[in-house]
Amino acid sequence: MRWTLDEWFVVALARTIGEGEVVFHGFASPCAQVAMHVAKRTHAPGSLLVEGATYAVDPVPVFVPPTSNDLALHRDATYRMRFEEFFDAACRGAIDRMFLSGGQIDGYGNTNVTAIGGLPHPKIKLGGGGGGCNISATIGALTVWTTRHRSGRTLVRHVDFLTDIGHRTPEGDRAELGYPGRGPEWLVTELGLFDFVDGHARLRTLFPDVTLADVDAATGFELRVELVDGLLPPPTEAELEAVRAVDPLGVRRSEFGPDELRRTFP
Amino acid sequence: MTGFHLGTDKRATLDEAAALVPSGATVALGGGLCARLPMALVRALVRADRDELHVVGSAHSIDVDLLIAAGAVGVCEESYVGFEQDLGLAPAYRRAAETGTVAVRESCCVTVLTQLRAAEMGLSFLPVRGIKGTDMEALHPEYRRVRCPFTGDELVAVPPLAPDVALLHAPIGDAAGNLHLDQPYVLDERFAHASRMVVATVDRLVPTSEVVAAGVTIPGHTVAAVVEAPFGAHPASCYPGYAYDRPHLAGYLAAAAAGGSQLASYLDRYVHAGEDAYRAEIDVARLTSWSTCDTAWQELFG
Repeated sequence: MRWTLDEWFVVALARTIGEGEVVFHGFASPCAQVAMHVAKRTHAPGSLLVEGATYAVDPVPVFVPPTSNDLALHRDATYRMRFEEFFDAACRGAIDRMFLSGGQIDGYGNTNVTAIGGLPHPKIKLGGGGGGCNISATIGALTVWTTRHRSGRTLVRHVDFLTDIGHRTPEGDRAELGYPGRGPEWLVTELGLFDFVDGHARLRTLFPDVTLADVDAATGFELRVELVDGLLPPPTEAELEAVRAVDPLGVRRSEFGPDELRRTFP
Repeated sequence: MTGFHLGTDKRATLDEAAALVPSGATVALGGGLCARLPMALVRALVRADRDELHVVGSAHSIDVDLLIAAGAVGVCEESYVGFEQDLGLAPAYRRAAETGTVAVRESCCVTVLTQLRAAEMGLSFLPVRGIKGTDMEALHPEYRRVRCPFTGDELVAVPPLAPDVALLHAPIGDAAGNLHLDQPYVLDERFAHASRMVVATVDRLVPTSEVVAAGVTIPGHTVAAVVEAPFGAHPASCYPGYAYDRPHLAGYLAAAAAGGSQLASYLDRYVHAGEDAYRAEIDVARLTSWSTCDTAWQELFG
């Protein structure tokens, strides 16, 4: 059995979802979107999945299209939430987990999806944050991910614009801000897996074709390391089958650069 | 909205509809991402040479980007403008933000929703729990910190948002402006009740009984004008009628990214030539093939 990095990456995201959790992904997030369906079809059948941008509950998509407000995503949904119904649930703390990414991510898990160079004079205007600015404060836990760690421009000491809340902002930590959400729990990158201790990212494991020197060279924030074995086991056959069945168009692959897409295992 | 819009015949042409949206107006755009966008109305506003529009909403794509490309926007208060992983950043929005020709007042879906609800309820503010600690407050000097009189929590008060007009597209509607939408409604219901008026397009104008049987999502008393505009959301999708037109969108992005004569050619061919000419360019067989089988549907995105 062989698999590619994009497949393993999606599986790693899926495993951050606990059985029985209520999970949500935003738009423009194909890896997280596929991961939620993989979790539902493997280790977390009792999770409740809210499909981002359609707000459909537990759908079985025909396929994952490259645009996330599409009818193909809500086939067989038991229910379709209204926009306000989902965001109200997220604000009152009824959603257990959300996936967040960003053009920049700092060591506390704050993300910038607004503008490289900040506003009002951006160097690159990114798309924007959708609802993350508010609901990152109140959703139970966050899985943060990036497929662009190796660029050296993504994991930074300071975000140019703070769109979504991590563990600590210049104005204080979550307790000081009065935010009930527990904040980022995992940071998954194409190089390895971080958890968070004392509100800061800590590298726990590497993909087998990655060295600590690779991560060190690509990480702008203080690299804290405490490696352990067994956090990134190879995908199971059932997990790979789920990835391929949910995403036959390979939309997840659009998140990766060409070199990363050539990585195969074992 | 300040009052209901009574009347049983609000049918209008696209030009008459565009006349209800003056330059400088605050405009809510219905639909979301690349679904059910009011594109025929967007094209009509460009033909009418509007400028300094203040666009508000959640996550959008070619509707906002085309208005910006044509120089019609002064302020952009959307939570996202882009084409996701499929086609990437929004070229005209990006260029306008980077060169400062459009004021970027990026917002958050929850904040916009809360502001619309304040307008619907006739309130002078409502609070949100988030925003504090982010850089979003710096873009919005109109927000204020308040203390909850019951818990003592510090929250962010946001003012009501009552757009001058909400531009909505629906698959079907009647002459009185009753509209049926399929889910997700995104913010269309909130826009309809918070705005001074809805200006709508429908793919098909039908008898009231047909809209009532399908279910009225947007009541006619919020609607000032309704225009029959087949394929009025194209190149966005409007199921069950038609899917997302990926080749058209890719062509738009290339033209908008290039700017200059390529953008001018796009605007001449697809906007200034008028809606009849526009419709004649649409590959109807392809975009309606989604319902024949799942393979055909998937191929639309290949």
